[in-house]
Amino acid sequence: MTGVTIDHMVATMTFIAAILLFTGLFAQTMEAAIMYQQNRHIAIKAGDLLDSILLTPGYPYNWGETNDTLSCFGLQQPGAAGYTLSSFALMRLMSLSERVEYPRDSGKWYNNITLGPNGFLFLPVGDSIEYDTASRLMGVNGTYGFQLSITPIVEVSITEYQSNPLVLRIEVNGPGSSLSGATLEYYLYKANKKMELELFSGTAQTDSIGVGYLNLPLNGETDTYTILVYASLGGLIGLGRYTHFIFTQGDGVMPFVVDYAAGKVYLAHSWDVQDQGTPVPNYAYNATFYIMTETGSFQEWPIANSTGGLNYGSKNYAITTLPVGYSGFMLVTYENGGQVGMSIMPWGIGSIAVSTLFGDNPFGNVWTSTDLRQVSIDQLSYQARIICWSLQGYQIMNPTGWF
Amino acid sequence: MLRTIEVSIVIFILAVAFVATMFFAVLPSPKQIASPNLRQLALTTLRILDKDEVLSETVFKAPTDLAWTHLEIALSSSLPPNMIYNLTVYDMIETGDITTFREFYSISNTGSGFGTDSEASTYLATSPNVTFTVTPQKISGTLYILNCSDANGWWITGYTGQSLATDLQNLLSPYFNTTVMVQNTTDFESLLDGNEISGNPYENVTNAIVVNSFGEAVPIPSTYADAYSQDSYAEYCYELGKRVNLYNWTWVSIVGYPFYYVSNTVEFSGDHNSWGIYGMIRVGPGGLDSFLKGLDVENNPSYNYANPSITGSPGIVSFTTEAFYYSNYYGLYPSSYQTSTRALPSWIQGTYNTVAMASVFNQVSDRYAAATFKHAGTGAFTAIGLTRTPDVRISALALLMYYQPIIYRSEFSLAEDERPTQRLIVLQLSQQGGS
Repeated sequence: MTGVTIDHMVATMTFIAAILLFTGLFAQTMEAAIMYQQNRHIAIKAGDLLDSILLTPGYPYNWGETNDTLSCFGLQQPGAAGYTLSSFALMRLMSLSERVEYPRDSGKWYNNITLGPNGFLFLPVGDSIEYDTASRLMGVNGTYGFQLSITPIVEVSITEYQSNPLVLRIEVNGPGSSLSGATLEYYLYKANKKMELELFSGTAQTDSIGVGYLNLPLNGETDTYTILVYASLGGLIGLGRYTHFIFTQGDGVMPFVVDYAAGKVYLAHSWDVQDQGTPVPNYAYNATFYIMTETGSFQEWPIANSTGGLNYGSKNYAITTLPVGYSGFMLVTYENGGQVGMSIMPWGIGSIAVSTLFGDNPFGNVWTSTDLRQVSIDQLSYQARIICWSLQGYQIMNPTGWF
Repeated sequence: MLRTIEVSIVIFILAVAFVATMFFAVLPSPKQIASPNLRQLALTTLRILDKDEVLSETVFKAPTDLAWTHLEIALSSSLPPNMIYNLTVYDMIETGDITTFREFYSISNTGSGFGTDSEASTYLATSPNVTFTVTPQKISGTLYILNCSDANGWWITGYTGQSLATDLQNLLSPYFNTTVMVQNTTDFESLLDGNEISGNPYENVTNAIVVNSFGEAVPIPSTYADAYSQDSYAEYCYELGKRVNLYNWTWVSIVGYPFYYVSNTVEFSGDHNSWGIYGMIRVGPGGLDSFLKGLDVENNPSYNYANPSITGSPGIVSFTTEAFYYSNYYGLYPSSYQTSTRALPSWIQGTYNTVAMASVFNQVSDRYAAATFKHAGTGAFTAIGLTRTPDVRISALALLMYYQPIIYRSEFSLAEDERPTQRLIVLQLSQQGGS
C-alpha cells in the first residue's frame, strides 16, 4: 500500500514538473513567433508609411509654400507624378538639430536645418511642422514611431588640392561606390573687396576612382568664393558646395527666414545671435539670390535691399524678400576691415542638396524596421529612408525600464 | 512503479512533440521579416536613372556603347553596398497578338545568382526615335455649344453654363473640324434661323450637333420669347424641336429634365424659376413633350400643348458593356454607376417616332438613363437623365458612342533598324548577408 502511494506521489510530482517545464518551453516558442509576427507588421508599416508620405502632396496641396495649417501630411511635389518631392515642403519639417534663438534672449526660436560650414537655414518654429503633428495626421501617434531621412544619393565632396593657382579636388561617391566618369559642371562665385560677384563656370570629369580636379584662376589662400558643383552620370545627379574665405571680424551676416509664406528674410548681424565680444564690427553686405532653372543652371533674381550696412546698435538687420515657390539659394557677402566673408542660404531643400532628418528618436526600441526609396527633389537624386518602430507591446523602454 | 512509468512515457511524448515542433516551426530570419521593400526600391531606382530619359536612351544603344558603362556605375553607386543586382533588357517583338521577349543585354554585380530572396521590378522603355500620335477621326458636322452669357442654368449646381461649355469644348472639340461657341442668345437666334455665326468657312448649320450646357434650362432669344410664349414657352420648345428636325441636328441635354425652364437674363430679368433664380421661367413637363412633338413634326405639323410627365426615376444605373468599351476607347472615365431621376421611357420611341441608340446605361424599369433618340426622319436627341450635379464626361461619352469616331494611333520610327521600338527593363535586387 505504501509503495503504491509513493508511486502515485512520485508520478504526480514528476508529471506536474514536466507539464510546467514544457508549458514554459512551448510558451517561449509561441512568444518568439508572436514577436516575429509583430516585427513583420512593423516592417510592412514602415513601407506603408514611407509610400504614404512620398506619394501624397498633403493638404493644402501647396502647404510647403505657405504657412497654412496642415490637414493631411505628405511630401510629394504637387502636380508631379511618382516619387518626386516638394523642395519647400521638406523645408518646413522640424529638424532634429538644436534650435536657435534670434534675437538673443527674445524667446523667438528658429528651426535650424544643419548645412555645415557657412550655410544657414533658419525658419520660425511656428511655421515648421512638428513630428507630433505629422504623426497625428498619419494616424500613427501612440502606435508607431518613425524617423525620416532624406539624403542626396550622390555625395560631392570638394576640398582644396592646391592653393595658388587654385586647384579643387572633387570626389563623387554614391552609397554603393564612387562615380567614375561622372560629368562635373561647376559654378564658382568669387567676391572681390567690394563684395561684387564674378562667375566662373565650366565642366570636367571624374577619373576611374570618382575624383576630378578643377583648375581655377584664383588664389585659394586669399580669395573669397563659393563653388557649386553638379555631378551627373547615368541619370544620377548630385551637387556639392564649398565656401572659402578668411574673416576674423565675428560671424558676419546670417540670414533668417522670418515670414515663410511671404518669403521675408532678415539679414541679421551675427551679434544678435551670438556675442563674439568687443569691439563689435559693423558689416557692409551684398545679398544675391539665384533661382534654379529647369536645366539645373542658376539665374540671378533681383531682390529688395540687396546691399546695405549693419551694426549691432541701430541697424542690426535688413529685410529682403525671396520669391515664394522658386527653388534657389541666396549668397550673402559681407565686409569689414578689408576682409570679405560669405554665407549661403538655400531656398528649397533641393537647390543645394541639403539633407533632412525628421521625426522621433528610435533610442530605446530594440526592434526597428527600415525601408528606402529613391526620389527626386528639384533636379537632384535623393534617397528617402524611414526607420519605424512600435510604441506598443514588448521591447519598449520607458523611464522605469523595459516592458 | 507503474504510474511512474506511465508519466515517463507522457514526458517522452511531450519531449518528442516539442522537438518535432521546434524542427518544423522554424522562425524566419530577421532579414526575411524586415527586409526593405526591394521591389519598390528597384522601381524607384529605375525611375531615378531614367531622369531626363537617360535610361531609356541607354537601353537602345549598342552594348559596346560607353553609356552602358555609365549606367552600370550609376546603378552600383545608387544602391546600398550590400545590394546585389541584375539588370536585364529584353527586346519586345510583336507578331500579331503575340509578344515575344528576347534578352538583349544584361549587367550584374553578381556571378553566383540570387538564391531565393530577391525581388524585381519592370520598366518599359520606348526608343527616343519613336513618336506616337493619336489622331481622332473628325465627326462630320459642326459642334455648337451653348455658352450664352445672357442665360442662367439650372440643375448644374456648383457650375455655370459657361464653365460647363468650356469643359465640353475641351472634351469634344478634338473630334470635330469646327467647334462654335454660341456666345449669347442673339447668336443663338441667328443659328435657329439657319445662319452661320462664326465666320468660319467650315461651319455648317445643317447636320450639326448642339449641346445645351445649361442643364434643365434652355436659352431663349428675345424675339423667340416674344413669338413663342404660349403655355409658359412650351411653344418655343416645339419650335426648337422643329429646328432640330429641319437642320438634322443632334440636340444634347446634359442633365435632368430637358426643357423644364427657359432662360434669358434680359428678357426675364424680373422673373425667377420659382426657386429664386432670376432670368428664368418654368416651362414644366410640357417643354419636353413639345420638343419631341416638334422633332416629330411630320406627325405633329402644328403646335398642340399637353403637359405629361415623361421622365421617371429608376435610381442607380450602371454602364452597358458598350459604354465600358467606349469609355476605355476614348479615355473617358466617369463613374460607371450613376443615379438617374429623369430617365426617358422607352415608349417615347413609338409615340414620337424615334429609336433609342447608343445607350450608356443598362435599362432599368424600361427607361433609358442616357441615350440618343434618333428620329425616323431627321434629327436626334441625346438626353442624359441623371440627377445633378452633371458630369459632362457622360454627355461626351454618349455623343461619342452615338457617332463612334475612330481613334487612329500611329507609331513612327526614324529608321527601320531602330526596331523594336520598346524594350523591357527588369531590375532584380537582393541583399547579401543577414540570413
